[in-house]
Amino acid sequence: MFHFQSFDDDCTLEEEGLVGEEDEIDQFNDDTFGAGAIDDDWQEEHARLAELDERVRDGLHGTGDASSVDLPHPGGNAHSSALPQPSSSSQLYPDIDGRGGGDLAESLTRLILGSDPAIAGVGTTSSDRSRLPPMLSGQPPQPSALAGQSSLLLSYQQQQRLLHRGPAPLSQINSHSIWENSMGFSPVSSGLVTQKEDKTLMSIIKEVGLPNRPPTLSREEGRDLSERVPPPRSSSPVIGSPPVRAVPIGTPPKQPMSLIHNQHQQNNHPSTVHVRASVPLRYPPPFPERLSPNNLLSIANSPLSHPPFPAGVGPVLSQIQRAQLLNSQVGQFQRGPAPPLLQGGVGGFRPFFGPSGPRVGPHGPPLGHAPIRHNTTHLHPQHRRMLNQRMQNRGLGDHVGGRGVGDRKNRDPYSNLMTQREKEWVARIQMMQLQSTDPYLDDYYYQNYYEKMEKRQERDRDNRKEHTTKLITPQVAKLEHTYRPVQFAGSLGKLTVSSVNNPRKMIDAVVTTRSDDEEKREKQVWNKRRQILYTVEKMYSLLLEVQDFEKKFLQTPEHQRDALLEQHKTHTLQLYNSLREKEWDDRVSDEQCLMIMSVRKGKRLISRLLPFLPQPQAAAVLMGIARNLPALAKKDKQDQVLCWLVEPVTAVIQSMSSTSLTDLLQELQGSEGQLPLVLQNKFGVTLLYLILSEGERMQSSDPNCQLMDDNRWTELVFSVTRELLKVPSSALSSPLFTPPNLVSLFSRYVDRQRLELLQEKLQITALSR
Amino acid sequence: MNYMPGTASLIEDIDKKHLVLLRDGRTLIGILRSIDQFANLVLHQTVERIHVGKKFGDIPRGIFVVRGENVVLLGEVDLDKECDQILQRVSIEEILEEQRTEQQAKQESERLKLQAVKERGLSIPKADTLDDF
Repeated sequence: MFHFQSFDDDCTLEEEGLVGEEDEIDQFNDDTFGAGAIDDDWQEEHARLAELDERVRDGLHGTGDASSVDLPHPGGNAHSSALPQPSSSSQLYPDIDGRGGGDLAESLTRLILGSDPAIAGVGTTSSDRSRLPPMLSGQPPQPSALAGQSSLLLSYQQQQRLLHRGPAPLSQINSHSIWENSMGFSPVSSGLVTQKEDKTLMSIIKEVGLPNRPPTLSREEGRDLSERVPPPRSSSPVIGSPPVRAVPIGTPPKQPMSLIHNQHQQNNHPSTVHVRASVPLRYPPPFPERLSPNNLLSIANSPLSHPPFPAGVGPVLSQIQRAQLLNSQVGQFQRGPAPPLLQGGVGGFRPFFGPSGPRVGPHGPPLGHAPIRHNTTHLHPQHRRMLNQRMQNRGLGDHVGGRGVGDRKNRDPYSNLMTQREKEWVARIQMMQLQSTDPYLDDYYYQNYYEKMEKRQERDRDNRKEHTTKLITPQVAKLEHTYRPVQFAGSLGKLTVSSVNNPRKMIDAVVTTRSDDEEKREKQVWNKRRQILYTVEKMYSLLLEVQDFEKKFLQTPEHQRDALLEQHKTHTLQLYNSLREKEWDDRVSDEQCLMIMSVRKGKRLISRLLPFLPQPQAAAVLMGIARNLPALAKKDKQDQVLCWLVEPVTAVIQSMSSTSLTDLLQELQGSEGQLPLVLQNKFGVTLLYLILSEGERMQSSDPNCQLMDDNRWTELVFSVTRELLKVPSSALSSPLFTPPNLVSLFSRYVDRQRLELLQEKLQITALSR
Repeated sequence: MNYMPGTASLIEDIDKKHLVLLRDGRTLIGILRSIDQFANLVLHQTVERIHVGKKFGDIPRGIFVVRGENVVLLGEVDLDKECDQILQRVSIEEILEEQRTEQQAKQESERLKLQAVKERGLSIPKADTLDDF
């Protein structure tokens, strides 16, 4: 399905397409080779260098090498390292050969041409490079091996980059290509330049500081290990961030790398160039964790590459054996990556088989014991017991049938693509979600379920000691991670660094105050409202306690009841006090009351509060309400919730004495013009009727009542009736309910005519007695 | 059992043959090679199985990487029971043909239903193809 190109090449398919267009390439060429743009014919230069190289080669190696170098390339490419002309090469290098003091030159020659086995492979490598960016080469008809290589491989950017690179150690013997070694070219450039004033040569030699080709070694293993890690984040310095991980949190674990790679890894700085210049001897890990199936089979099956296995272990590892192997390998790696690696070569097989040897045999029980990690899982003990039981059962069962399964699985070459480490990593992430500071909060049903099961088991069986263990969950402290962006004093703004853990605010919202007077007033109003609400809230909490008193009372044992009662009393008193502002009066503070009642919540509060207040205080509250009814009515226009108060008010009124009732009626009538306003409001009307009805009830029921002792009541009723008759029907709102005894009340005080009028107006009939 | 006792995890299912049902209705059968915390799956030697009536056909697909959110359910395939199947296996072309016919029949019936409903003056709102929520 997928066509895997040989990724040995650096070039891409697009670049391949450029091969055909000569003109374009020439242009690129001129651009890239700065000197080429300035200077004259590059073709000549190439030819000269080719000769030079060829000549030197001939001089040192004889014709054999030259021929290997001169392998004609497969078709379609102009990059054939054709025979350079010997004559021109001699022009360039004679002094190099002759000069004894030119150490650099010597090293250069040696490097270029010497015993470096990499050079011997140039023919082959350049055949690989046949499809490299042709724009660089500029189609020299006969590139020298030297210049040819340079031109073949270079991209302009790489050139620049590598010019800045320091000299690299020349110890890269291991690589297949010359390119890694060619880092040594760069210091040479300066030397040669001084000697040679040939600009073109200089330019070409500058080019010779060649790019590092990522080692092919890793490729052979099927994947480049560094590719597994996304590039390090470029903007996460230590300042202001939580401890920076070079590898972001979401990345899967890498293979246990060599020490060197670890060093690279721990850099917090992004590396822009994948130059492995400083990687010293690099052996393949002895038993790479991720073997491609081919590799695995070849390794496993080839008898010659390593000492023979202990007898009894088949060439192809069984599934379980391999798992064990990897397990042990992981373990070893964790202990110390260096020692196993440095044992070098494939001989590293041996240590891995050592510990796993004795385990190869019975593989039932050992697997069964691997199981529950006590440090990561916080299971309910009951749950754990069940799991243990289950596992034991399974272990016993498996032991018999284990071999059959094992045999079947031993031919899967693709198994364990997901390493142990990765599995653990996923498991760990999933376990993190199970951590909790409060298991009863986070996982209520789980806890309850297992508790019930425990109790059930205890009930069914006899009480055993082991079942009475209590669950002690480890408390994972919830750490507060508040991040404050770093700000330097006196600087403008904040640092622009951000990371996953401290995202930067995109918009710095600043509160701007509006300086209008009106705005100020508005704000004041709002503030006041907020204050009222705040007070109401506080009172509510008290109220709730008071309301819960009864429940609590029933629950507390006898001796504590007194204390509870006391508490209750204080609460109620507190509540009442909050309604009063000044201490000197028994009156409810108008201002406070008004404030509270102006808010819907406050009204509700009062309605709930009234039943709990003792009589005199409740009466006082009621007085306050009556007194301020017009204002309250006005404020209530939007909410229309005054009627909530009717019920508690009824209760209060019915418990009032006659004098207080009279007083209340008086309050209701209050100042001039209050009554009509009262009448306009539903609640007001209702209240009025309630009062009147109560008075009537008192009068009719108790002949000795004191209502008639002074004339106040009568007078008040008179005024009420007067008002009722005067007020137009439209201004009279209908009450919530009409007490039945109003008629009898009115019949006491008014004559028949007026009574009839009243009846009509108020729509009360004599029948509703 | 090894890794996360008492929880549901895919770790023990690795390297076993699984049947995966995707949200778009496809059925994939492959060996589960790798997972991650989002239940993204890597399936190896995957085969897409199309079922029509009592017949089914397999299309070999190779390696699949499935994003976790698209999985409806998955389960391990019992290799023993897989052998004795009631369903009849047919070639790919045939099963695709059958599928096409089935689709057409369904569309036809839908159309008729819609027409009948329209004639009676009712209207059924058309359900979106993506019936996520």
